[in-house]
This record gives sequence, structure tokens and C-alpha cells, in this order.
Amino acid sequence: MLKFLTPAGQYFLFLKKVISKPEKASIYYTQTMREFVSLGLTSVGIVVIISFFMGAVITLQTAYNTENPIYPKYLIGLGCRDSMILEFSSTIAALILAGKVGSNIASEIGTMRVTEQIDALEIMGINSASYLVLPKIIAVVLFNPVLTLMAIVVGIFGGGIAGTFSGVMTLENFIYGIQYDFIPYYIVYSLIKTVVFAFIITSVSAFQGYYVEGGSLEVGRASTKAVVYSSVLILLFNVILTQLLLK
Amino acid sequence: MIRVVNLNKSFNGKAVLENISVTFEPGKTNLIIGRSGSGKTVLLKSIVGLLEIDSGEIWYEKSLFNKLDFESKKTIRREMGMLFQGSALFDSLTVEQNVMFPLDMFTDQTKEEKIDRVNFCLNRVDINNSNKLFPAELSGGMKKRVAIARAISLNPKYLFCDEPNSGLDPLTAILIDALIKELTEEYSMTTIVNTHDMNSVMEIGEKIVFISEGIKCWEGNKNDILNSDCGTLNDFVFANSLAKKLRPTNR
Repeated sequence: MLKFLTPAGQYFLFLKKVISKPEKASIYYTQTMREFVSLGLTSVGIVVIISFFMGAVITLQTAYNTENPIYPKYLIGLGCRDSMILEFSSTIAALILAGKVGSNIASEIGTMRVTEQIDALEIMGINSASYLVLPKIIAVVLFNPVLTLMAIVVGIFGGGIAGTFSGVMTLENFIYGIQYDFIPYYIVYSLIKTVVFAFIITSVSAFQGYYVEGGSLEVGRASTKAVVYSSVLILLFNVILTQLLLK
Repeated sequence: MIRVVNLNKSFNGKAVLENISVTFEPGKTNLIIGRSGSGKTVLLKSIVGLLEIDSGEIWYEKSLFNKLDFESKKTIRREMGMLFQGSALFDSLTVEQNVMFPLDMFTDQTKEEKIDRVNFCLNRVDINNSNKLFPAELSGGMKKRVAIARAISLNPKYLFCDEPNSGLDPLTAILIDALIKELTEEYSMTTIVNTHDMNSVMEIGEKIVFISEGIKCWEGNKNDILNSDCGTLNDFVFANSLAKKLRPTNR
């Protein structure tokens, strides 16, 4: 029990250190803009590719599993839309970003720790945790909803392309399906999940990197732990948020 | 002036520093020497506050540093400059940005004023035409120089150097030593250098503290060190064959 509680307590103390008044707001602003590019914009490519193929596969699988005359064809489009909005755009994209962004953050901060760059910041009288981590959290939390919306659009587009070109349905049926019984709240639900997942990815990964002790081997281990712990927490919070928000 | 009184530090119950008391004077190059693993780095990191001590006092002038709150510590830390063993330059920033970093953080100078100060500091450590290079493009000696330039950019009162010569050839090491001594005298800084390099000891050791297995065994200067009565210090000083030949015959 103590083995679990000690790092949990350390994590919350770390968050307290991270979320504190910046030394100089203009420097933090510049840092946040940099993180938008390095953690946000560079993730657009992978999210677009994955969402496109996810949408395509959902459409094809739904089509092959509903080959029954009593099911209208537009249900395939509806299934693709709801799957993308409710689960794939937020949760699956978050799991993939935990791999890309999480390992990037843990290894960057971990390397700074073992090469004494974090000590150098502390010596200057700078709150290193806040300076290094807060801009990353802000950038990812603000940019991930954009990625999620992008994933929804691209995923549905991928589904439409796959459905039409494979001949399992017509484009008209698909478009009718994605418009049928649309519940806007699902988008809100997805965005809330995305924000929580973004916070988990950045804070857990930064925590793993910040407390690395040793050398390159330990940085590698911290990077792996960052991905594993972020992924497990994402899945856990997915259940909790779904229960809370879709009652 | 920095004063350490009865400092104790342990890790997982194992004492690493025991009852260390020493005064480091301004305008002098103060050296902490000892074998690898003797506790030099722990002592230096305790003095700068990177490690929490178990008991004892660390005074910066009239401030009891180890009892100050986080904000008050920050004020004193802004008067510190530190040269780390591996230089600790920020990888993602250029030489110019590295030296400018403390100025960006803690001053309201204009961009031109900051660039002037950066160029002054870089010239002072003999780094020219390298402003736009990244740390990965610099040699070990150049990295140390840039780190010194960054450390002095805010005119610190205290300069700490952890193994400034590690990984450097003997000639570059002497140049770095000379630079540290010059800057110490020029700015009347209280400088503390951690080293196990006997060349440094004999070149710049105005005040020397010898630590062995976490205990302060000897204190003096470079003129006294060859005639000390301390056995462990003599083993350290006369470790290599050349030094053994130079050992006074009555020892």
C-alpha cells in the first residue's frame, strides 16, 4: 500500500510545485507557444493518419457485421460517427499520444535531470517544475481538443471513403447516417475526456522524467513508465468519466 | 562570505558528511578537495541548497540559508552562479540564448542591453563568433567557458564550480582555473571549487579544505599542503609517482 501511496503523494506535491505563479509571464508565454509547436502541431500528422484508417475500419467492420436486410444501410454511417465521437477520437487518440507525447516529455525532462540542467535552473532561483512542465500542460490541454475535433472529421471522412469505394454502401446512405439522430452533447463529452487525458499524459510523463536518478538507462525506463502509467490512467478515467457524463 | 557550521548529511541512514564546519571567504578561490566519493559534491550541493541537510547551519553573510523559506532562498540563489561538472548548458538553446537566459528571467533590460551583456560575458571567457552555435557543437572546454559566462551574466556574489576540469586536457584545465581565479578577484566573489585535480590545487588553492570519508581532515592553503601532517591528505597529494619524487624527504 505504501509503495502506491508514496509516489501518489509525491505526484500531488509535484503538481503543487508545477501549478504556481510563474517567475516571468512573458517567458512562460514564449515557452507555451514553443510547446504548441513541438507537442501539438507535430502530432497532427499521426492523428490524421490514424483517424482516417480507424474510420475506414469501423465502417467496414460495421458493414460486415450488419449484413442483414432488416438493418438499414445508413446505420453504418451512424455507427462510424458515434464510434469516432464517443471513443476513438478521444480515447484511442489519447493512447497513441501517450506513446508519442508522453515518451517525448519524460525523456526530455529526464535527460535534463541527469545532465544537471534542472539543477542549473534551481540554482538560478527558478521553479524548475513550473518552468518546464506548466507550458507543456497548457499547450497539450489546449491543443488536444483541436486534435480530437480533427480526428472526428477525418475519421468520418475515412469511413465515408472506405464505405463508398468498397461498395458496402452508397455515399448518400453514409451521409444520411452521419446526420441521423445526432446528439451534440457527445462532442462535449468527447472534449471533456480529451482535456482530462491531455492533463494525465503531460503531468504523469513529466513526473516520471522529473524524478529520474541515474543515467540514460533510467531515462529510458522513465519513458516506458510514462507511457504505461499514462495509458492505464487514461483507461481508468475513461470508465469513470463515461459513468459520470453519460448517465 | 559563506559559513558552514556542524553540517551533517546522510543518505538512507548512512552518514556522508559529519560535523563539517568551514568558512569560505570572499575574493578568494576556496577549494574543496578529496578522493572520489569523499562527499565533496554532496557538500557543495548542500551549500547551494540542492540537497536538504540533516542538521547544521549554512550562512550566507547574515542569512541562515537552510532555514529560509522558498521565496527568501530564491533571492539568495539569484546571487549565485554555478558551473556544473557536465556544464549543464540547455541543449535546446544556442550559446547566446544560454547566457541570456538569466537576464531574460530576472532583468527588464532591453534586447540590445542583453545582447551587449551576453557579448561582454562571452568575450570575458574568450568565446568569440560562437553565439549561434548549440551546445552539441562545442568542445568540452568551450562548454565550460560558456557555462562560466552564463554563471557570471548576473554579476553573482557567489560562484560554485563542481569539478570544473573534469574531462579537459591539462592545458585547457589550467586556462579554466586561471579564468575562475581572475573572475573571483575581479568581481570579489566568494568562489568554491570542488576538485581532485592537484594541478588546480597548486595553481589556484588560496584556501583548501580536504575531506575524507565525509569528515573535514585538513584546512589550509597551497603553500601548506605539501608540508601537512595529515596522513590521508599526504596519501592524496602524493598519489602519483611524479609527486612522490617531489615529496619532502622529512615526511
